[in-house]
Amino acid sequence: MSDRTGTVADNLQTRIWRWASSNAIWIVLALLFSVAALLSDAFLRPVYIFNIVRQAAPVGVAAIGVTLVMILGGVDLSVGAIISLTAVLTAVLMDGQVANIPLAVTFALAVGAFIGGINGVLIAYNRISPFILTLGMAVVITGITQIYSGGTARGIVSPGFREFFNFRIGGVVPVLALFFLGLALVGVRLQQTTKFCRNLYLIGSNPQAAELSGLHVKRITIIAYALSGLMGAMAGIALLARSGVSSTFAGRGLEFDVLAAVILGGTTFQGGRGGIGGTIAAVFVLLIAFNLVNIVGLDYNAQLIVKGAIIIIASSAYIYFKKVR
Amino acid sequence: MRKLIEFVGSTVVAIGLLTGLASAADEARVMQEKQAAEIVDTSAYKKEGPYKIGVAAGYMGNSWVVFTLQHIKYEASLHDDITEVLVTDAAFNPTKQVADIEDLISKGVDLILYWPVDDKAIEGALKKATDKGIPTINTGGGFVNSPSVTASVFIDQWNLGEMVARRLFQDMGGKGKIFAMLPIAGTTAAVDQLAALKAVMEEYPDIELLSAEYGDWNRAKAKQITENLLQKYPEIDGVFSPAGQMSIGVAEAFDEAGRLSEVIMSPGDEYNGWLKWVRTNNQGGAVTFPTRVGQEALRLGMRILRGENVRRGQKVPSEYISPGAAGVYAETDRPDDWWASELPEAWKPQ
Repeated sequence: MSDRTGTVADNLQTRIWRWASSNAIWIVLALLFSVAALLSDAFLRPVYIFNIVRQAAPVGVAAIGVTLVMILGGVDLSVGAIISLTAVLTAVLMDGQVANIPLAVTFALAVGAFIGGINGVLIAYNRISPFILTLGMAVVITGITQIYSGGTARGIVSPGFREFFNFRIGGVVPVLALFFLGLALVGVRLQQTTKFCRNLYLIGSNPQAAELSGLHVKRITIIAYALSGLMGAMAGIALLARSGVSSTFAGRGLEFDVLAAVILGGTTFQGGRGGIGGTIAAVFVLLIAFNLVNIVGLDYNAQLIVKGAIIIIASSAYIYFKKVR
Repeated sequence: MRKLIEFVGSTVVAIGLLTGLASAADEARVMQEKQAAEIVDTSAYKKEGPYKIGVAAGYMGNSWVVFTLQHIKYEASLHDDITEVLVTDAAFNPTKQVADIEDLISKGVDLILYWPVDDKAIEGALKKATDKGIPTINTGGGFVNSPSVTASVFIDQWNLGEMVARRLFQDMGGKGKIFAMLPIAGTTAAVDQLAALKAVMEEYPDIELLSAEYGDWNRAKAKQITENLLQKYPEIDGVFSPAGQMSIGVAEAFDEAGRLSEVIMSPGDEYNGWLKWVRTNNQGGAVTFPTRVGQEALRLGMRILRGENVRRGQKVPSEYISPGAAGVYAETDRPDDWWASELPEAWKPQ
């Protein structure tokens, strides 16, 4: 009897650890959030929690797309430049007129997808290192943005655009936060259910085997990069909605926030592993780390130390939960 | 007793250190004023026209420098003896700026205006220019006292910070809790603005500085930080934010939290997005960060080429513009990322 009880307990423990292992980043997020809530009651206020979700939108949306190409074994460093370009482009095409919003948004999304598609074609057919290619593409897009804008973030956001995305449903949930959560849920669902996403994992795990087994590796690569560009454009529009655009470099550096989130979320440079869910959790881990040190009121330099330490501890905790079986 | 001695001792040491730091900062300012007032011997640079002007931009990635460059080009158009303005853009790369300056020298420019990515990194290249009789003018950066820099035309960040702080405290009635939204940590702008704020606070003992934050001249980051501070502090009476670009993000966060009516915004600068906000809300005003610094730099350069004596440092003074007047400068049909300036319409960025 006691042996059976012991076996049941062992099984339960094993199952718990397995669950912890596959949801490591969510456990880290929960722990960090609990610590944050203990240190500041702001983290228990619904309005502030949804503020965090809204703050996360630009990086989070872009990170969804980059996760797809990294599962494939690639990377997309052009996403920051795409964010800057599409934010400026959308504002210019809006030109302060409500009637221009649909065209501006559609065109910006098309431009993002087109740039991503070019990345995909060049990587699929020339086998250039995605790292170098997308870095080069970032430089090209930055140049285009500067020439197109003349160095000032031209364009006037249409009245109602930002008001719509920042409107709080029930006085609590901003539309932009809902938009981001909706995209994240759709991304996770598609990742779980579509053949396209399963193929991404297969190609990322073993590209040669995937090609030999008859998968359309080139086509899937192009689509994945086009999706990354499309999500980059959505992130640009999200940034415009959140804070307006006040510079031609509005998205500069965001590619590193995106990469940090994707990698912390469990998607590796080697490909074939990870997923959108982990990325989303990691986006929140990084954001809460910043907000926590800020809200606790640490001196700026102390903020840097504590924020860096939180990221290191979060990464270590993540690896611990992943390893323990 | 031991604790009391420790407390008194540590307090005395702290006061001594702070006093020492404050006095060191004052001494540095006095020294800078003295160096800036020095007269430059320009005889080595005197030459007949026509002139070719070189502009070695450390970066072109923000609207302020775009307007500054337009001022340089506009001023050049007013001089018949200027035949060409050559512009290079180092895109925040100090190594490229060194190469750019060397290129301009080899192209035979007669004067180099520049704004640095890193002062130290380009010192050698600038020295090559001055050794060849090409004067170099730091345009819009801080004051630089170096043999490789002939003169600096600059906006005094300390004075600007002082003007902004005084106006804010007057608007607040001399009391209340504030936070400061500063540019990138460690930059001259951030250091000098904070030092000026603290210096003015000494005259206003009822003003409490809750926190000094760094928004990196980024509207989104300034907004995010303010959203956090609004959660932490139930009472914020004023915000010290000399950069209009960040002030908009700050004001938006207050507005979205339903707390805009409780706060007094300091003057920003003549960034158009901020001026639009001032026009709508009739508060804040502006302390200018004039883009005509570019024009003044070229004027000074022309005087050097003519062999006239000039001061090593020439300040372009900031001016206070009241909320009512600042609103007049707002161009509602222009983007936020735009600067109120005295440029003729044809010379504004297209």
